[in-house]
Parts: sequence; structure tokens; C-alpha cells
Amino acid sequence: MIRSFRAFPAAALSLFVLLAGCGAPPATEPKPAQGAAPAASAPVQGGTFTYALAGSPSGLDPNVVPGAADYRVMRSLYDSLVVQLPDKSIKPWLAEEWTVSPDGRTYTFKLRKDVTFHDGTPFNAAAVKYNFDRIVNPATKSRFAITLIGPYESSEVIDDYTVKVNLKSPYSAFLSSLGQAFLGIVSPAAAEKYKDQLVKNPVGTGPFKFVSWTENAAITLERNPAYQWAPALAENKGAPYLEKLVFKIIPEEATRIGSVQSAQVSAAETVPPQNLISLKSDPNVQLLQAEATGIPYTLMLNQDHAPWNELDARKAVQLAIDFDAIVKTLYLGTYPRAWSPLTPSVAGYNKELEGAVKPDLDKANALLDGLGWVRGADGIREKNGKKLTIHYVDGSPNREKRNDIAAMIQQQLKKAGIAVEVEITSDTSTALMVKGTNDLAGVSNVSGDPDILRSFFHTNAIPNANKWGHNHTHKSDPQLDAWLEEGLKEQDPAKREEVYKKVQKYVIDHAYGFPVYVFPYTVAAGKNVSGFKFDSLGYPLFYDVSLKGS
Amino acid sequence: MAGAVIQRLLSSLLVIAGASFLVFFILYLLPGDPVLMMLAGTTFTPEAAANLRHQLGLDQSALQQFLRFAGGLLQGDFGKSLVSDDPVLPKILSQFPATAALTLAGTLIAVVFGIWLGVLSAVHRGGIIDLAARLVSLLGISMPTFWSGILLILIFSVQLNWFPALGSDGWRTLVLPAAALGLVGSGFIVRMVRNSMLEVMNEPFITTLRAKGLPERLVMYRHALRSALIPALTIIGIQIGELLAGAVVIETVFSRQGIGRLLAGAITAKDLPVVQGVIFFTAMVYVAVNLLVDLSYTLIDPRVRRTQ
Repeated sequence: MIRSFRAFPAAALSLFVLLAGCGAPPATEPKPAQGAAPAASAPVQGGTFTYALAGSPSGLDPNVVPGAADYRVMRSLYDSLVVQLPDKSIKPWLAEEWTVSPDGRTYTFKLRKDVTFHDGTPFNAAAVKYNFDRIVNPATKSRFAITLIGPYESSEVIDDYTVKVNLKSPYSAFLSSLGQAFLGIVSPAAAEKYKDQLVKNPVGTGPFKFVSWTENAAITLERNPAYQWAPALAENKGAPYLEKLVFKIIPEEATRIGSVQSAQVSAAETVPPQNLISLKSDPNVQLLQAEATGIPYTLMLNQDHAPWNELDARKAVQLAIDFDAIVKTLYLGTYPRAWSPLTPSVAGYNKELEGAVKPDLDKANALLDGLGWVRGADGIREKNGKKLTIHYVDGSPNREKRNDIAAMIQQQLKKAGIAVEVEITSDTSTALMVKGTNDLAGVSNVSGDPDILRSFFHTNAIPNANKWGHNHTHKSDPQLDAWLEEGLKEQDPAKREEVYKKVQKYVIDHAYGFPVYVFPYTVAAGKNVSGFKFDSLGYPLFYDVSLKGS
Repeated sequence: MAGAVIQRLLSSLLVIAGASFLVFFILYLLPGDPVLMMLAGTTFTPEAAANLRHQLGLDQSALQQFLRFAGGLLQGDFGKSLVSDDPVLPKILSQFPATAALTLAGTLIAVVFGIWLGVLSAVHRGGIIDLAARLVSLLGISMPTFWSGILLILIFSVQLNWFPALGSDGWRTLVLPAAALGLVGSGFIVRMVRNSMLEVMNEPFITTLRAKGLPERLVMYRHALRSALIPALTIIGIQIGELLAGAVVIETVFSRQGIGRLLAGAITAKDLPVVQGVIFFTAMVYVAVNLLVDLSYTLIDPRVRRTQ
């Protein structure tokens, strides 16, 4: 029993002392380099690199999972047949060379002979065939790789290190897709052993091997000492410099950034705009940035609902929104404005669209007047007793301040007499894909090939209650379909780029979608980190990383 | 006394049954289709969706689904995660120790600071100390935990580098989150202890003790506080529930493991079985804690023992 209550102040005081005084510096604090600075040409071996992820990966089986967080971990575990360099050229990786049949439907890959999976089994033609067949097998429940592999038909093992891949139709984005980690090669032996639990027991041929996954806390990888088959993207050619690579899951922004500043993690992803400015002046931190490649954040206007099936109505919305003001206000000049439904680094990006559309409220008003929408007493336009309203659907939580974009557009469109009802929901998929109640909805996507436009503007991508799709314009446009299919089949890169330039211009000219910003994937890293890179999709690469003075 | 304990146990069971009912139906009535969530990002046929719906038993009536759910709970089967296909209960059990450690440490801080400040505040009623103690308690109650958590990180982790800001390995990672949690809890306890101390101090037996010439210190800390502790104990029981709930935010801010983090993740992913499992599990822990608190009255206060 509690006898003397005088003990309380004393206990409290000692607790306070405990709270205040006993912290030894954390083990991860960088020690100053000993003696002379190491020569720049010789990266330091060893050390543990901790990378703070903003969200938890859902799994690590590339054939199945679709997420960006998944990708960031998987890239170190799995190698691909080919690699795409930032200049868009495709270079060898696990495949040493390849030939494409004149009809564009057959790809023959000659594979490296010196590659082994982390479980000791050899990488060969049978492994490649196993992977591709596994992706298209419905039992695998692939959620993204199946899209990337496109019109895949079958694979044939020609000899141990030669594999022939047959496609149902020409697919010009095939090699670029093969370079993504989602088409990275898993060990067939491991896939057989773990089946659907490969997501928690990944085995590949990559520079790092999987060690452990503590849910909601960390994923630990260790160096693969046998690694000798690095892609042309990397400078290192042998085993990675780092001993260990640890991914920590830190969803809270302030904690994530604070952890880099206090050197509790080596680097953290997705620095919010308000922190960018202060971090730039932090002597202990370096900022590294890559454009998220593919579809920038773009607002799509649903043409299923009148009056948005009319060009003049869509144009009025396009002209009444001042996107420059929105992007500058919300991102403090740290995010670039987007002009095209493709980001600048994708092949075929149409640079002519930059600055092509300028806000013009008078013209927007004139267009709506012309359509017979007359302002009512509350300033909102009406026609046949119906108010001019846009139903704007956006997701929760407020990712990249997208909810604030909605709020600003609401204010701006009011000036043109358009009412905007904003629906913020954590279940956007039902609102967009099933019910299709949206007039305006924003999307973005990561991809290295302009063929990604097909997933957002082709008739086959229009969603309904039974079909998933990302064509939120709900417009079946024969002209766009024709170009998108032409781009898919065209083998000549220059001609292909021209096709996609036409698509981008068409989307802007006809006000199908309004590009807003290009997301700069920003990493804050300690000053002792060197060799940190991004791949051509803007995902981080850890293979070349080394830590000074660790 | 045995009768009272049995009565208390039975009412606890009733609460748990009610909790399972509520947990099931609140989530059942929420908008959003778990089947569509699972199929997100794939091209699927209506037949495939119907198939999956049937496999999950989602095509049955609400009552059938509830009975299946409640029957599973009785057998310790909390269902399987829609996202990872793992059974839910082992997931919760593996995350619970981290939450238990956090809640216990938070409670300890809340109780120690709460009682100490509450007594000081009552003893020095109207003075500077009283004012300061009440201010601290008000701050504790009104500051959102995510904010005080981030503040603690900025001061003690980023600036001073005394404690790690994140993770859940070792006692050093426990200090800041437990302090953030304890701050909120202590606020309520300060007010409760202060009020009941003030009441007790007006009781005749205190006057008697003072008249006997007992030193004021002994009167306050040995006799008054003991009587004032009973209502505070009730508050502490309720507080543990509050702190369990607060763990959702704290665990996210400090990137700790735990069932709060599990819940937050499951809600975002619309992983209903996990959400149901965590809420039901938390309800059980809450009921158990309050049962223990109720029973402990009889140990602390002889009067309660006699009236039973």
C-alpha cells in the first residue's frame, strides 16, 4: 500500500530528471571522418543506410503489388531484363542482347549466364518464362504487372539462356515496361515455395537480399556479396558498398524530416514544400530531387454529364482557372507547373504546350453567356432552372495539398458563375470508378513511356460499375483511340513521339484535362550520403550509395 | 463480495457483446465496397467480383454475417485481413505489447504527475502554485496529442538530440511518446485530485486531526489524499481507455509499432476485418482494465468492502 505520499514529489522529480538528462547521443549519429578525408574516387565500404518511407509497402512480390512504396523497396531486391536510361535509351541488364521481329510481335532475349538468385538457384530462360507466365495467370492476382506486360501471349525456352517472348499484337512500350521493377524477375523456386506469401518473402537477383520485415516499423535488406551484374545506370559494378539497407516507415511528415535533421535516419523521402525552404539552409542536410515521371497531377472533366460534353463549356472552365496562381500559392514555387498530360521527361513530351493556355475570365464568361447560362441572383449561372454546378471529387488525406487545389478552384470558378461542390472522400475509387458522379477529378501516374496516355484517354479505359479504368473524361473519342493505338504499334521512335505530341495537344485544345503540377519527388539526406540516384521513373536507387565516416 | 464480483463480470460480458454488435454494424453500414477495394487496379469481370463476394460471405444477410462474425470471435477467430490475407488476431497480438508498453508508461507519467500536481494545487489553493498547476492541466487537456508529440520531437529529438524520435525498440524510444500521452492524461487527473482533495479538506475528520495538533503535512498527505484517491482511481481507469485511443495518433506521429498504428493503416486501406478486430480487442482490454479498477476499490477503501 501507498504509505508515504511524500514519495510522490520525489518520484516525479526523479522522473523529470530521467526525462531531461540521460540521453546519450544515438548510435546512428555520424562520427567525424578520421584522419584525412577519403579520396572522392573510393567510396567507403560498409555501414547501414536507413531510408524513411512515407507509407508502408503492401508487399514485395513485383508480379502482384502495384504501389510506389513497394517499388522503392523492390528495386534493390529485383533486377530487370533491361534498363531504361534517363535519355530513354534501353540498355542490357539481365538480358545481354535482344532482337525484335519485323512485325513487332516477337522478342528474343539472350540472357547473362553468371546470375544467381538470392536463394542460390540459377537465373535462366526458364526463370523468365516462369515469371511472365505467372503474371498472366489469374491465380496470381497481379494488380499492375499484368498491365505492364501488355498483350503478352507466351514464352518459349530456346536454350538455357535464350528466351523468345510472343505478343498478341505489337507493343512499342514493351522494353520500357520490362525495365520497371514491377517486371523484375523473381526466383521461380521461391515463388513455388512461398506462393502468395512471396510478398513477405521476396527472393530476386538484386544487389540487396531480403532479411526481415517488422510490420509498421522497418524492412531490412543486406548486401548481396555475389552481385556482379549491375545495369548501365549504376557506377558501381560489383557488390553494393552498404552493408545494410533499412527502410523505416514514418508516415508523419514532421517526424520524418526531423529524423534526418537529427541524423536518426540517413535520408527521408517526400519533403513537404514548407520544409524545403528551411532544409535548403540546413548545413547538415542535402536535398535530392527527381521529377515523378508519367502523368502529372491532371484534372479530368467528365463529359458524361451536360454541359461538359460541349467544348465551349469545358473551355470556359479551363480559362476561368488560374493554375499558375494555384501552383505558386500552394507549393511556394517548389513544384513546377504542368502544361501537358505528360511530364517533361517522358519521350514525346510536347513542349509547345508550355504557356499555351492563359487564364481569361472575360472569355470564359463570354463562352458561358453564349451557351445560354445566365447569372442568377446569387451570381451562379442558370439555364432552364438548373444551376451550373461542378461536382469535384478528391481523396482524403490531403495528399500534396490536393484538397487545397479544390478549394482554390471553387473560389476561382465562382467568379465565372460556376458553383463547385467539393466531395472529399477516402473512398474516391467508388465515387469515380463505380458511381461516376464526378465532373472534375484529379489523377496522376508514374510511367516512363507515353503509352501511359492510353490508360487515361482510350475508350477501353472508361470506368463503370463493373470495370476499373482511369479514363475519367468518360469520352469515347475515335480520334484519340486511333492515335493511341497507332502509338502502341509504331516501331520508329521519332514517328511515335509525333503521334503522342498530337494526343497531348488534342487533350489541351479540347479541354479534356487540365494539367496542374509536376510532383518533384524530394529526398532529404544527410551530408555523409553519396551516390544516391534516381532511376528513369524517378524512383530512388541505393546501389551506388555509400556513407562517409561510418 | 463474491456476488458483487460475479455481477461485475456478467455486466462486463454484456458490454463486450454490445461492443461486438456495434463494431460489426457501424462498419457494415459504412459506405464503400470491400470487394471493389480488393480488386482496385485490376480489370475484373462482374462474375469475378460476385465470386469474391461469395467467398467472403458478403452476399449473405447482415444478420447471417453478424452471427458468423460473433461466432468467430467466440472461437478466437477474428477473420482474415483483406489486404494481406493473414489472420487478424495474431497480427493484433504481435502489435499489442508495444501499445501496452506505451499505454502503461503514459499512465504512469499521467498518474505520478497528475496526483502530485493535484495535491499541490489543492494544498496551495488560490496561490501561484495552484494557478500554475491548473494551467498545466488545462494545457494537457486542450493540446492535441499530435501537436504536443511533434513539439516534443522538435525539442528533445531534433534540437537537443536526447531521445530518438521514432521506432519502438528499447525504453529510450518510449520516453517521448509516453510523455506526450501522459501529458494529456495528467491534465484530467490534476483536476479530479484537486477537487476531491478540496472536498475532503472540509470534512470534519480533517478538522479533528488538525485540532489534535497533527502536522499539516501528515494531515494532507496521509489522511486527506487517501480519501481523495478513490474518485481519482475511477478517472485513471477511464484514462487508460483514453490513452489506448490516443495511441492511434501517438503511434503514427512517432512511427511506433502497435495496434493503434495497425488500426490507422487498416482504416486507410479499408481493411474491415482488421478494423473490426482492433476495435473489438481494444474494447475487451478497456473492459478488463475497468473491471480491475473496480475490484481494486475494495482493496484501497475498507468502507467499500463493508458496504458490499
